[in-house]
Amino acid sequence: MEYVSPEGLRLDGRRPMEMRQIRGEIGVVDKADGSAVFEMGNTKVIAAVYGPREVPNRSQQMNDRALVRCEYTMANFSTGDRMRKPKGDRRSTEISLVIRQTMEACIMTHLMPRTQIDIFVQVLQADGGKSRCLIAAVGTRSACINAATLALSDAGIPMRDLVTSCSAGYLNSTPLLDLNYVEDSAGGADVTLGIMPKLDKVTLLQMDAKLPLDIFENVMQLAIEGCKAVATYIRQVLLENTKQLEYRRGTHGQSPAYSAFKVLFSAARRFIAVLMKFDGGYIMETVFDEGSRLKIKHIQSSIPNQRAVFRF
Amino acid sequence: MKLIISEMVGLSIGEKHFIQGGIAQDIRSDGRKRLTPRPINVKTGVISQANGSARVRMGATDVIASVKAELGRPTALQPDKGKVFINVDCSPTAAPMFEGRGGEELSAELSVALRHCLLGGKSGSGLSSLLAIVSQWNVFESNCRVKIWVPLFVSGAGIELSSLVVVEGKICWDLYIDGLVVSSDGNLLDALGAAIKAALSNTGIPRVNVAAGASGDEQPEVDVSDEEFLQFDTSKVPVIVTLTKVGKHYIVDATSEEESQMSSAVSISVNRQGHICGLTKRGGAGLDPSIILDMVSVAKTVSEQLINTLDSQIAAAEAGEDES
Repeated sequence: MEYVSPEGLRLDGRRPMEMRQIRGEIGVVDKADGSAVFEMGNTKVIAAVYGPREVPNRSQQMNDRALVRCEYTMANFSTGDRMRKPKGDRRSTEISLVIRQTMEACIMTHLMPRTQIDIFVQVLQADGGKSRCLIAAVGTRSACINAATLALSDAGIPMRDLVTSCSAGYLNSTPLLDLNYVEDSAGGADVTLGIMPKLDKVTLLQMDAKLPLDIFENVMQLAIEGCKAVATYIRQVLLENTKQLEYRRGTHGQSPAYSAFKVLFSAARRFIAVLMKFDGGYIMETVFDEGSRLKIKHIQSSIPNQRAVFRF
Repeated sequence: MKLIISEMVGLSIGEKHFIQGGIAQDIRSDGRKRLTPRPINVKTGVISQANGSARVRMGATDVIASVKAELGRPTALQPDKGKVFINVDCSPTAAPMFEGRGGEELSAELSVALRHCLLGGKSGSGLSSLLAIVSQWNVFESNCRVKIWVPLFVSGAGIELSSLVVVEGKICWDLYIDGLVVSSDGNLLDALGAAIKAALSNTGIPRVNVAAGASGDEQPEVDVSDEEFLQFDTSKVPVIVTLTKVGKHYIVDATSEEESQMSSAVSISVNRQGHICGLTKRGGAGLDPSIILDMVSVAKTVSEQLINTLDSQIAAAEAGEDES
């Protein structure tokens, strides 16, 4: 089969060195400490990070560094044909392991001894056309790693660098960047690479099928370029997110001005919550407890008439 | 299910008082009244491989439902009906406790509840069994949970199963409805019910042409069209309203903090006509029968609003999807 046309176009219309469309978004799971969704073409992955937190299983606690755990799950509806799912099967265990090892390499675990960091990766959609595809899972691992990186940065976990991942292959004597499902299942070589772009270090490298050494160098160089492009994009997403946060906290430009105060609630005279009107929207919150003032803990969103949520 | 969640929330005594006191005074932690639901946000067509899908967000609760249709064989008992399977999964992204097999109990409970609310009980198969009262007594482990299902109307109240048949006794559509809990902040059942309703109205079932001439036991040959799609009439699909009792009062659309303070909860599924399609009570404490009746009538009024907001949201989502 011809995967690259004489005009130099691939089956989905891309050039050999072109990536599928990528999109990342931060903060999609409100309850998690950090979360992100990452899309590469038709592949769509959600990652959520919980931690650093106390290690629930004491026997796993490590006194010199944090415990990093990862679980990869595919939704029933993520593939073309509905999966009758075997939960915790070998393939997902293997991918969990790959993601964990890749992320562990970049997290500064020594800064958080006796804690645990959980990374949960959920595949919502796997590129894979209409067939019952097991290979689809293979194509998702790059997206999973990129989503995990975004989620870890959203959670504010100290990292050496952003790990990014991308795959490259070799079909019809042409090195191809970011294989889609059809190209992936063609049986050619497939190199999945994860790098730390600033440190220029490889944290993940997988390849199946055989490839002459000089060609392998080319393909790997292509994958490195892909990873770097993803890294640039991820940096943009993070920067945009930071700007948004800055804006929401009112530290963008000028300091906040409280324009109105309103005592909202007093249950059995134990707590008083004060609602503050602020730059047009309402935000929270100050709490008093029988004379002694408690700290302002956090700022709620700008929904009118929102009452305080307290964390003592 | 509530028991596990309450362990996870971890509230201080002050916070517990605050939540309970707020509910007693009819102003809750987020400023809502007892019977005000959170704003609901619907997005349809989020999973491109599915025949229909929707994502519903209520506050921090975030669920996805997808509908996949596959050709199958009707059962011998009901040759004139298609099959619908509902299955819910709790993603570990929603809470670390769902890791591994941790979410299975909750998933199973939600799936069963949804199956009953949307598909009706097994007993009523096709009979217009008004007031057929089916009760199921489920005893799980130490905490006793009682489920009473009261299908007041024909079973399959929500989804017209006979419309799924292609060739009677030979070919029918199997609908696989999958729910996925992405983020959990209470009231999962209502959110999943809404997501499934939205996903069903987004669903297109391909038109099937059956080749004539197949006789006897032969399986007829079919040609599945990839251009023509049939839409579902989802106006009959009920919505689920859960009333959570905290202290002396009950609230709608509880957050997980509020659910941790509940004594019991009643989930009632109501359709547009105001008929009750299913009802389930959970939680440890007993309820006065008169309160249950009271709750049912409150659920009826709340469901009207919910159906209206949901319908307008679905319409808006569909319109938005068409444009893009």
